[in-house]
Amino acid sequence: MNTQHWFKPYFDRLSSMSLAIALLTVLALASAIGTVLKQNQEQADYLTQFGSLWYNVFLSLGLFDMYHTPWFFGLLVFLMVSLCVCLWRNVPHMLKEMRPGKVVIADKSLKAFHHLKLWKVDNMQTDEARAVVGKALSEWKQRSAEEDGRSYIRADKGHYHKWGYILVHSAILVILVGGWIGAQYGFRGTMTVVENSTDNTIRFLRGTTTEQLKMPFDVRCDSFFIDFYPTGMPKEFRSTLSILENGKAVVDHKDIIVNEPLYYKGVRIYQASFGDGGSNVALRLFDPATGKSRVINTEVYKTWKDPESGISIEITNFRPFNIENMAEAGEAKRFQDLGPAVEYVVRGPNLKAVKVKSFMNTFELNGQNRGHMIMVSMSGQDRDYQPFPLGLDFSKPTDWQLFQRFAEELGKRGDNVSKEANFAAFRSAMTSVFGDKRPDNFQQMGMRVLQAMNSLPNIPWPFIPVLDDYEQKYYTGLELTQDPGMNIVWVGSAILVIGLCIMFYVPHRKLWVVFKPTAKGVEITLGASTNRNKMGFEQEFNALLTRLDESLRPQSNDRSTA
Amino acid sequence: MTAITASRLTLTGINRGLPGFARFCTYIGAIIGVSAFAMFGPDGYGDEGLLYFLSASSFSWIGIGAVAGLASGTALGMARPSVTESKWSINIVPFLDGALLMILLAAIWTMFEPAASAVDYRDQSNLFSGTVIMTMNITLLASALLYITHLFAPASIVGRLATASAWVGVYAGGSALLLRWYESYMLDMAIGHAPVSNLYEVFILLFCITTIVYLSLERRYGARAMGAFVMPLVSAGVFFGIWLSAHGHADIKPLVPALQSYWMKIHVPMNFIGYGSFAVACGAGMAYLVRERLEMRGAKSSLLAVFPSLDQLDQLAYKAVAIGFPAFTLATILGAAWAAEAWGGYWSWDPKETWALIVWLVYGAYLHVRVSHGWKGHSLAWWTVAGFLVTVFCFIGVNMYLSGLHSYGRL
Repeated sequence: MNTQHWFKPYFDRLSSMSLAIALLTVLALASAIGTVLKQNQEQADYLTQFGSLWYNVFLSLGLFDMYHTPWFFGLLVFLMVSLCVCLWRNVPHMLKEMRPGKVVIADKSLKAFHHLKLWKVDNMQTDEARAVVGKALSEWKQRSAEEDGRSYIRADKGHYHKWGYILVHSAILVILVGGWIGAQYGFRGTMTVVENSTDNTIRFLRGTTTEQLKMPFDVRCDSFFIDFYPTGMPKEFRSTLSILENGKAVVDHKDIIVNEPLYYKGVRIYQASFGDGGSNVALRLFDPATGKSRVINTEVYKTWKDPESGISIEITNFRPFNIENMAEAGEAKRFQDLGPAVEYVVRGPNLKAVKVKSFMNTFELNGQNRGHMIMVSMSGQDRDYQPFPLGLDFSKPTDWQLFQRFAEELGKRGDNVSKEANFAAFRSAMTSVFGDKRPDNFQQMGMRVLQAMNSLPNIPWPFIPVLDDYEQKYYTGLELTQDPGMNIVWVGSAILVIGLCIMFYVPHRKLWVVFKPTAKGVEITLGASTNRNKMGFEQEFNALLTRLDESLRPQSNDRSTA
Repeated sequence: MTAITASRLTLTGINRGLPGFARFCTYIGAIIGVSAFAMFGPDGYGDEGLLYFLSASSFSWIGIGAVAGLASGTALGMARPSVTESKWSINIVPFLDGALLMILLAAIWTMFEPAASAVDYRDQSNLFSGTVIMTMNITLLASALLYITHLFAPASIVGRLATASAWVGVYAGGSALLLRWYESYMLDMAIGHAPVSNLYEVFILLFCITTIVYLSLERRYGARAMGAFVMPLVSAGVFFGIWLSAHGHADIKPLVPALQSYWMKIHVPMNFIGYGSFAVACGAGMAYLVRERLEMRGAKSSLLAVFPSLDQLDQLAYKAVAIGFPAFTLATILGAAWAAEAWGGYWSWDPKETWALIVWLVYGAYLHVRVSHGWKGHSLAWWTVAGFLVTVFCFIGVNMYLSGLHSYGRL
């Protein structure tokens, strides 16, 4: 009857528990690799990190995007096959086991139970005893039978326990299938849309290459807005989007924030990032030699070149808020918004290229105006920014005049660098700029000018670019996804949780009660077993015994444990 | 001794029968009341967050729910006495009692708060939750020491003191978290959020949950010797928490946009039920290994008598995994649901996600070898210890060494 197929041994092996455990272990180890090795970074970074030999080894194994490699997929498929075979082999057994079992039990089997109890009850007939016991077992599913003059009660609790296994294992299959459908027929990519413009293409990484996909609709970013906490931390990123089909707005001015995506025709649109979308900025180029300045208009991401000096200014970023920690080292952190700032890279003949962050507002310290400030990074890295106070407030022409006169007066005094001489030079500079009417805040002005004396001569450029005006434009970084498998995954997840609850919390407990009529009355034997939660069952069993003891007590005069 | 037995009987007695069932229904009614208020109440649940529930109209909704629950529970219990013996009610009522006590304690603590004018975001050291958390630290450390002492002096009062101080620690920690929730609104209405948003807060949550899981196993199965293994694990965490607060990580900070979601209140605590249970399983596993070693060496029988038997310890470890595994599974699924709403996909192979999967696979394999291979004892005890190490890496190691989308818990 049972023909041996050639694949039988393989089939057995596939469904074996050892294979399942080996698979789980391999899967765990493989997944760990991808967390230690950062995924989807720049190829050049990997090359410098590992050297060409290991880079090529890792690349050929696909370790830089390993969760999407064929071998990882193969591992998951193998898991699915193993699960299927396991279910195929075991489900019929389990279903059979869950069918109502036999009521009549042989003495030998009964004696083998771990939980066993014997009552000898006098002056009670079998029927009466059966009724008493049946009542005590009211929470159990009971069936009874009679054979050879004996009566039997079989009671079950949680007889559907095995459904737990079936559900849990099928649920994992369902989840894997859902995931596969999502990976196969869904997409997930990013789109950056500048304020007041539209886009319809998403970009995503496949392996090491960036691919594009056109959406069946256009996304317009009407505005982007950041809200801040009183502490200066960002509180909310909000994009107002419209969706256009054939030029017509089908979704009009709808807001999305980080935890509230927009849903349109199976596609979810998430707020993922933001950045500068090419703001218009005006820079004031201040000439420290003449005190004159001119304003140039440019845009973020554009490079402006001065035809005279050959110096170029590449604007890299603009930010309207710049929260900086103003505390000294060792002090508690103290954050202050330094206002709008533009970042640019200055390049020129015989000049080292440096990155500069230039603030529009003057630097306020303890309510005092300390003049304009820039931050300079010699390496070009953001973390190397060093504050560079320029001293002068370029919005005040008198600042520069005073600075210029002071320099002249100092020059007149030649080598005399005593404190008094410097002070006298400053006084006469003040007089020549303001006459006898000194402004109220001349002390602050003096501090600014002294600072400028220290810093301005160190600047190698013929002019100092300071942010003068701006018109901000953000881009919003959106993530667009479609996942037709997601609902399948949720269904699988629900089944998984239900299955686990049945598996862990509904053990199958069975018990048999055998009634043997004796000369004086009836002899009752109770045997019970469980497949899970032995300690809990111990307590449940003892509670049941106490209850039965009480029910049978008036009649019983001889009780003993078997 | 008889007095204690009697008091324990009356204590468990009030969880059974009509008093227990009526109380259960009252709590359920109150919970329904507060949920209904959140969903259908005036103005709706919004930016006010917690404070929305601390208003007169909220209390009236809760009160109506509670009274309705009490009435229907009493009526049902009297009409059909069998429902009062329902396992659900008997098992859940003590936890709801405890939750109520925690809320009351937190309400009492609010009276010790500094005046609103003295509350400053930049210097949060005068908030009262700091004091309550310190109490928790001290009682939890004390209970660890007492549990260890108990191993060598089982007959004395030390064991009961250990249990008592562990309970004090749980209530201090739980009420401190609730208080912190309230304090976050005192700092600024915009800052207010549930206290499960950074490493320091979830550490406190973890201590409480681990201790609760352990104490309920202790109460049910009388396995007090296990405390000498579980509570030192908690104590190690307490020291780490103290280190965090000494390095300025204990402050209440505003929520970054990614965390502003109701999912945070569900996903995070659920995850820590998993972590906490795995910690208890590890404690049981360690107790198993120690007892086994003691038996091999032929240790004094008085010391062995304190320990549950090897079989019981094996069962206890399994019980803890049986609590932790479904909770952890559910937490991971809830996390996936949140990710689907915030990150654009339910699964992104983010290091935290991947390590959660690894933890899940480790305990999944544990269950397989236990149930189907029939492994028991020694190797499974090691498995629970190793599994917990993986869990610790998933919880803290990922934050320290690997970067990813879950970076808000970064050190």
